[in-house]
Amino acid sequence: MASSIGLVAVMAASTLTATASSAAGLPSWCGPKKITMGFTDGFGGNSWRLVTTAAVREEVKLCPNVTKLYYADGQGKTDKAISDIKGMVAKGVKALVVFPDSGQAMLPALRSAYKAGVVTVPYRVWAGGVAGKDYNIFIGSDFVLAGKLWGNWIKKNLPNGGNILSLSGPAGNSQGVDEAKGLQSVLGSDPKYKFIGTQPYEVTNWDPGKAQEVLTAAIAKYPNIDVITTDFGPSIVSALQAAVSSGWKVPAIAGSDGNVLGCFYADNKATQPNFKMMTVSTQNDHSRLATDWAIALATGGKVPAQKAYPSTAFEDSVSGKPSPVQCRKDLPGDVYLSAKMSGAAQAKLKTN
Amino acid sequence: MSSVDRRDVKKSSRIQISRGMRTVLIGLAALYLASALIAPTSVSRIAQMGMLPFAAALAIVGLGQTMVIQQGGIDLSVAGSVSLAVVIVTWGPDRHDNRLIPAVLAAFGAAIITGLINGFLITRTKLNSIVATLGTNAILYGVMMGLSGGSPRRTTERLSNFTNNKIFGLPHSIWFGVIVTIIVTVILKRTVFGRRFEAVGANARAARAAGLKVGRYQMSAYVNAQILYCIAGIILGGVISQPTAYQGDDYVLPSVAVVVLGGTSLLGGRGFPAASAISALFLKQLDMFVLSLGVPYGVRTLVISLSLMIGIAIYAVNWSSIRQKLMRNSKSRTLSSASA
Repeated sequence: MASSIGLVAVMAASTLTATASSAAGLPSWCGPKKITMGFTDGFGGNSWRLVTTAAVREEVKLCPNVTKLYYADGQGKTDKAISDIKGMVAKGVKALVVFPDSGQAMLPALRSAYKAGVVTVPYRVWAGGVAGKDYNIFIGSDFVLAGKLWGNWIKKNLPNGGNILSLSGPAGNSQGVDEAKGLQSVLGSDPKYKFIGTQPYEVTNWDPGKAQEVLTAAIAKYPNIDVITTDFGPSIVSALQAAVSSGWKVPAIAGSDGNVLGCFYADNKATQPNFKMMTVSTQNDHSRLATDWAIALATGGKVPAQKAYPSTAFEDSVSGKPSPVQCRKDLPGDVYLSAKMSGAAQAKLKTN
Repeated sequence: MSSVDRRDVKKSSRIQISRGMRTVLIGLAALYLASALIAPTSVSRIAQMGMLPFAAALAIVGLGQTMVIQQGGIDLSVAGSVSLAVVIVTWGPDRHDNRLIPAVLAAFGAAIITGLINGFLITRTKLNSIVATLGTNAILYGVMMGLSGGSPRRTTERLSNFTNNKIFGLPHSIWFGVIVTIIVTVILKRTVFGRRFEAVGANARAARAAGLKVGRYQMSAYVNAQILYCIAGIILGGVISQPTAYQGDDYVLPSVAVVVLGGTSLLGGRGFPAASAISALFLKQLDMFVLSLGVPYGVRTLVISLSLMIGIAIYAVNWSSIRQKLMRNSKSRTLSSASA
């Protein structure tokens, strides 16, 4: 929530400056040139991406000089994600925001878009390359900080140490690697904390089906798991439910937020004495910052001050700060209460 | 009729356990033994309860693929069909239990229509099954994306209970896998329809000459396969409380692999549905075994691929001719060295 409040503040501030300078009341990043724009997702098939893409649409609406926004979903296939980028260039878009899920494999496609004169802004997943040579700018997030936030919480709430199992997305994804670095930097030197399972994390591809197989194998293999860290909290809920029904005790969880996870906590806290939970914001609004940058560069607007999206704590079941664990039973499980878009608005989203 | 012929008839009597079944059962027993010895946690209750629902889904998909392969085809629309079923039964009700049954009916309706399209393209227009089902797959993805925008909703409470509640200590999803396997096996192996179905797959011309309505049997393979994929999709939708839109993607190659591991020839003809289903259990336990070994992700993928290659090589490679060739070569070498 703090992150979204922060972003709202930044945007409000930039809107104010813009209002001062332009009669139309446009945000400062929205310049005078008229453009069409593209947004390509490496994998669009889950609710997190649905909300993230809707955030891009909302942001684009703030700038009427973007006359059209095209969207393409790589469906988890690198070749499709590459041809999606080429397709956008062929359509003549002037700005392109890319979620390069496949990492470095996407670099040649990014470079070719950039060389074709399209403002190219990859975000969230590091694709290698150099800004100003292969693309305009990479808008990352400080995932090392997310790992540190988990680490500090674990240190505070499990002072006697414990076994830590980490889950993340595809093998080698930069987000998971950085989070593991953050965790290690806080807990790695303390022998009381032991990292169990495949290092730096167990590969789940952020797929709930895969997560279920991986987590059940880990639960069976390690009888004493004291903390689970996950950067897509909602994806492990079905696995947790299955394990709980087999009599397993839920350990502490340091993850990212999602209504389904919050409600899982609410449903189980009474019967699970070891179940404490903290989450970092799942950062659906990261795409807004990348969009602002792309539009600013392509329309001749003022570029945002931030070059990376901040990692911020969201829920903490122990301290209740910045927020206690939130569960909105009246909303679907797949909404993200840390996002700027309201849960009710997310629930109404149907299509990408 | 010579005595040799009579022996052949005896061999193919109905109570015989197929070579595929024997191999798969031995493989499965060996795998469980290795699991128990090397990675004992992979056979623990929690691990098995986590793995078996997915094995059940793969088994049901494999049964559908078996029927198609029996007719000399191959069905690549598995991914689209399973994903579409998952999307319809989760996105359709959008967390309202009372809309679940209409959604399930709609999923079956979509499956039957898809099966009829596949069947029509392949049996009537004589389109190659790979091309036809790839095309259908693209259409299914189009429909799925059009419906949901690629984001299925969370499973409803009712569907989740329907698949995860337990009878005799096992979740319904596993029982579904067992029951569907028994039904398909009985239909294919114990009924007139099943025998005719095999006959059509083995030699469509001969079957036509014998007066069988070949097109109808071939068509039924594609329709039944889709119904089975749909059942698997519904189970997956219930087991995974928050599925993705591409849940079927992981089932295309494994569905073909379980058919081949089960001993059904890719050229069509006799099918071994029960062996396919048990191969699905084998593949999923193999996953669980390598996961429990705790080896790095890359090694895990290698171990699974190698095991699959070995399994498939048992049937696909003509070992006796290789042995003969090798022996012939070594003999001729000895002869040439002797003459030199």
